[in-house]
Amino acid sequence: MIRFENVSFHYGGETGTGEGVDQIDLEIADGEVAVLCGESGCGKTTVTRLINGLAPHYYEGTMTGRVMIDGLCVNEAPLSSVAAFVGSIFQNPKSQFFNVETTGELAFGCENLAVDPAEIRRRIGNTVSELQLEPLIDRNIFELSGGEKQQIACGSVYTADPRVYVMDEPSSNLDKKAIVRLHDLMVKMKKSGKTIIISEHRLYFLMDIADRFIYIKNGRIDRNISVDEMRAFSDGELSELGLRCTDLSRIRLSPELESFKTAAEKERTAAKLALEGIDLSCARGNVRILDVERLALPRNSIVAVIGDNGSGKSTLAESLCGVIPSDGSVSFDGIFLSRKERARRSFMVMQDVNRQLFSESVAAELTLRTDVSDEKVDEILNGLGLLNLKSRHPASLSGGQKQRVAIASALCAGKDILFYDEPTSGLDRLGMERFGRLLRKLRNQVNLSIVITHDPELILSCCTHALHMEDGRIRSLYPLDDEGVRRLRFYFLSNNSESASRRRDKSTPLGKIAKYMGENKRTLIVAALVLLLGTIARVIPYLLIYRLIQPLLTGTVPTFRASLPLIFGVLSCEIVHAAAYTYGLQLSHRAAFRTLENIRLYLKDRLEEQPFGRVLDIGTGAIKKLFTTDIEAIESILAHMLPEGFANLIVVAVVLLVMTVIDWQLMLATCLVVFMGISVSGQMFHVGIEKAGSYFAATKRLNNTIIEFVNGMEVVRVFNRQGESGEKYENQVRNYRDFALGWYRVCWPWMALYGSLFSTITLYSLPFGILLILLGLLNLADYVLILCLSFGIGPLLIHLMWFIGAIPNINLKIQALEKALDYPPLKTGGADFTANRYDVEFKNVSFAYKDGEVLKGISFVAEEAKLTALVGASGSGKSTVAQLLVHHYDVSGGSIRIGGQDIRSLRSDALQAQIAYLSQDIFLFNKTILENIRAGRPDATDEEVIEAARKAQCESFISELENGYETIAGGAGNKLSGGQKQRIAFARAILKDAPIIILDEATAFVDPENERNLALAIREIIRGKTVIVIAHKLRSIMNADKIILLEDGRIRAEGRHEQLISADPVYAKLWDLSESAADWVLKAREGDGV
Amino acid sequence: MEFNIYGDNSGAVLRLDPRIKLLIFLSGSVVALNCYRLTPQLVYGAFLCAVLALCGKKIDGLKIFCIWTFFAFLRICITLSGKGHPLLIGLVRGLSTLVMFSLPILISLMLLIQTTRINHLLAALQSMKMPSFVMIPLAVLLRFIPTVQDEWNGIQKAMAFRNISLDADAILRAPTKTVEYILIPLLFSCIAVIEEMTAAALARGLDSEKRRTSSAVVRMTSPDYIVLAGLIAVVSFALYFGKTGAIL
Repeated sequence: MIRFENVSFHYGGETGTGEGVDQIDLEIADGEVAVLCGESGCGKTTVTRLINGLAPHYYEGTMTGRVMIDGLCVNEAPLSSVAAFVGSIFQNPKSQFFNVETTGELAFGCENLAVDPAEIRRRIGNTVSELQLEPLIDRNIFELSGGEKQQIACGSVYTADPRVYVMDEPSSNLDKKAIVRLHDLMVKMKKSGKTIIISEHRLYFLMDIADRFIYIKNGRIDRNISVDEMRAFSDGELSELGLRCTDLSRIRLSPELESFKTAAEKERTAAKLALEGIDLSCARGNVRILDVERLALPRNSIVAVIGDNGSGKSTLAESLCGVIPSDGSVSFDGIFLSRKERARRSFMVMQDVNRQLFSESVAAELTLRTDVSDEKVDEILNGLGLLNLKSRHPASLSGGQKQRVAIASALCAGKDILFYDEPTSGLDRLGMERFGRLLRKLRNQVNLSIVITHDPELILSCCTHALHMEDGRIRSLYPLDDEGVRRLRFYFLSNNSESASRRRDKSTPLGKIAKYMGENKRTLIVAALVLLLGTIARVIPYLLIYRLIQPLLTGTVPTFRASLPLIFGVLSCEIVHAAAYTYGLQLSHRAAFRTLENIRLYLKDRLEEQPFGRVLDIGTGAIKKLFTTDIEAIESILAHMLPEGFANLIVVAVVLLVMTVIDWQLMLATCLVVFMGISVSGQMFHVGIEKAGSYFAATKRLNNTIIEFVNGMEVVRVFNRQGESGEKYENQVRNYRDFALGWYRVCWPWMALYGSLFSTITLYSLPFGILLILLGLLNLADYVLILCLSFGIGPLLIHLMWFIGAIPNINLKIQALEKALDYPPLKTGGADFTANRYDVEFKNVSFAYKDGEVLKGISFVAEEAKLTALVGASGSGKSTVAQLLVHHYDVSGGSIRIGGQDIRSLRSDALQAQIAYLSQDIFLFNKTILENIRAGRPDATDEEVIEAARKAQCESFISELENGYETIAGGAGNKLSGGQKQRIAFARAILKDAPIIILDEATAFVDPENERNLALAIREIIRGKTVIVIAHKLRSIMNADKIILLEDGRIRAEGRHEQLISADPVYAKLWDLSESAADWVLKAREGDGV
Repeated sequence: MEFNIYGDNSGAVLRLDPRIKLLIFLSGSVVALNCYRLTPQLVYGAFLCAVLALCGKKIDGLKIFCIWTFFAFLRICITLSGKGHPLLIGLVRGLSTLVMFSLPILISLMLLIQTTRINHLLAALQSMKMPSFVMIPLAVLLRFIPTVQDEWNGIQKAMAFRNISLDADAILRAPTKTVEYILIPLLFSCIAVIEEMTAAALARGLDSEKRRTSSAVVRMTSPDYIVLAGLIAVVSFALYFGKTGAIL
């Protein structure tokens, strides 16, 4: 039990974040969860410090009364004795760890308490599994995100296993998933009888754990609030107390925002972009942490960036504003800018605002490096409510004030785009509301505001758009209209606590390629050695030539007899060179192409693991590019750069060593030239890359415009709009020309310099050598030998420099390859299908696609040998149900079971064997009809295939075809009508004879002639099976055993046709619509007949 | 600049006891001061590079060995050829001496810091009965190297927004101003970190009277003894033959 006996505490000196507390009388029972709440600076933190003893032991001050935990007086006993049973978790993740390594940090508390090492390791193991910390152990704490650090802090305290937990705003830096995890952890602590005292601004996640709320005001306990009372408070009452919301599902879009929501709508049509980023990517070490294809943000918007900890939000912001290097290009207001220019025009209010304040007074801070007038400074300060602080030292201000000073400095410098990195972490309601008002006010002063935040309350009070990041990629970007608010609320309310932390593969690009090489590594090494031989054979002739002309230097005339072997030597060297190069390159290409084969096979496997929808998202064009162009880049590395580079490097190094023996001074001169050459080529590359962004962006746009132009050709011609479309096309072509020229203009001087100065290294060693000869430091013979050697290695050096310059580019290509399929795969298990019944059960299934919740908790059972029909308006989620059942996607929540077995536990082929899925899109392979039907069951005999075709009513039309069953179907031979294709698909399904049949609007768009045949075919297929039918024409499912009516992702009603039509108005309406449509078809046909 | 203080030993063939590495570090200074001849130096250098490579820094080991042999080779060439401008000879000799003198220390530092997981190092020191008034400041120091790095990165970003340049000419033009811009935010944020970190560490019982335990295991194993034997052999060879005789 914790007991405060009339405790007053006031900080002495400068420490402390508040005034202290007065006359606290408080009892907290064992196993109780007490939440301290109240405005910032009310004394909550001081109370926590009094419990863990940091006040008065560490934060000194005057104290009266005493704090007792059981029999121990905290304010008198030494800190370490309190530490044995009180565990503390603090607000700031970056300053509450002591070690550099996570595992060491988990052990830290126990080590201090002298727990036995074996016991510590056991406890760590326990903590790691219970808190899902596996991805975080044995890592450098400094590479973790704030949320991850906070998890380690929780883990460290949990390992020490104290009786009392004291938490001071632990959720400030956490994302919603981590908050859910914190919540679960607290539930666990509470269950095991621990006492928890938590001081928090975010109350919503504590509502079901807390036993009571202690409301503190001005350093005194104002009142105790029970949980029920707290829940019952309206928003107004909470606001009066200065408390944040207690239930996230109750938050609404701020009324002030409603007014410019409509305005935002209008502007969207104007589509003025404040910021556009194309092909942004950013890697830390060898790990890609950002990968954005295109991002466009409209002018005067306030964009909330949401996403889990470590999903790349800060990286995105920092690369957009140019403070960290990134690939890709970014334009502000339509103009592509370099990194430095972007930093000059934007500003970020960092999470740790201390880093941004450079001056000794607020006024000096604002005028730093700007020529802003005094009146303007006063005006801005006044606007932000800082005027009375003008002469204060920034370090003496509170956190919120510092933040506003930073914003003021940005306004003074006339910045266009403002970024805020978690501006409201640890703010109370008042602070958050004030910040929201400020953002709304600034909206028209700056071009764009981007707010990284985990607070839905803030987003709904001031933001116009939400940008959802996931795993370094943009998951969705949407305006906060009604639909947007729904999506946002769904994101924050979905109760997923799965840890997003992943261990990242840090291997180098070459290491990554090496994974796919396997056996080919040896081939490549042999190739490199052969090429080495070839390269040596290329240099030796120069030595022989030296021997040829050597007699000249001593004044003797060379004889033909003496020269002959040398000439032969040169010739044979050339032959060896040619042969070795041919053979070596052949080997290296063999290794390269076999590796490419491995990579392509690997990519195919990865592609098959992906959710089907993701594959569609990537698009056939991008996949084709991935499998062809991007992979080809690796060919040049393996076939040329690696083996040739190796051979060239070795030979150059050896020749330089030989030169050293002959004359070390000339060698140094040569090295100097080589070094300069490398630095110039580096410079060339560097300058190129700055401008390359806009060049590549222009290329990409041109590509898109061409595709659009071609795709739109039909519409354009029909509506006679050539002019408009052509103009756009011409503009893009012109743009591309300008960017390309601009790029080359920058690179040209460097290329010219490089080409002219370093095409031959002898240019420099020549005069230097002559100088040495004149000084008598070098003899002529040695000099000529060195010249010969220089000629020999010249081309090799140029080759090498070229390779070195190309390395970054290749890196990019490999990364592109790596990132392309680096999505989480579908969850499949390894189990066989073992059940002997085939009923399908959906249990509370929900599914979200790109933030939009498509299914919202659906439960139903499709029984064996019965027909279950799914009906509903378009977009009600009917087809999604089918696609989830065939496991094209993973469910977001709940489970799908076949015969009691979760489909996620099944092997992919085991699942597919149970289901025949017939949809309206039918794909026929470019093979004979016989083979196309056989695809249903590859081991079927011809007789079985023909029998299936007969049952599916295919026989009649197949026999009319020229080659009967041997007719080629599929893409090229498009002789079959829609209905005929459909029946072939049915034949496949009959052949497959799967116990579960899904008919996804399988009879849509079929003409009436075929309809009768199809009906017969269907009857054949569904005999004795579990059948799920998705239908628009309700007449076709009138006799279903069960009809499920879906509405907006939920089940509205289920039952038989007769029940529904009388009981449910929506179904009745749907029926009428369907009937009248059928009528309409009939009438139209009658009209035709007349 | 990357210190790699965390000490990634994931690619290591050999996981040596940090105490051996400490010994290598100490012997490095002794050898550097007492060995002047090339052959013993090279033998010693080769040994160090091999250990470094085995401890996970393969490429670095190879690279340093190449640099080392190149400078040795250059010195031999200069001495044997007897050619060259005196000024140039002096320059190159001085440079190569400096490089060859500092390489052993550099290698053993890399070995100690970059290939040793930091909690192993601390555990090793603790098992050597190092008193806590040495251990704790050392741990804080080691933790603060990356902290300052982090802060510095953040401050650089803040400077970019405020148009404060860190180019050479800007620094030369106003050196005191630049130092001020760096130091003020750096100090303020470091002080904040120190204060909160101390509070967190105290709340977890750092000032306990009890003797701290350590969860990391450090134990001498057979590879350690083999390396130790090799080290003793190489160092005694270097010291015995290093002082007298010709330069080679």
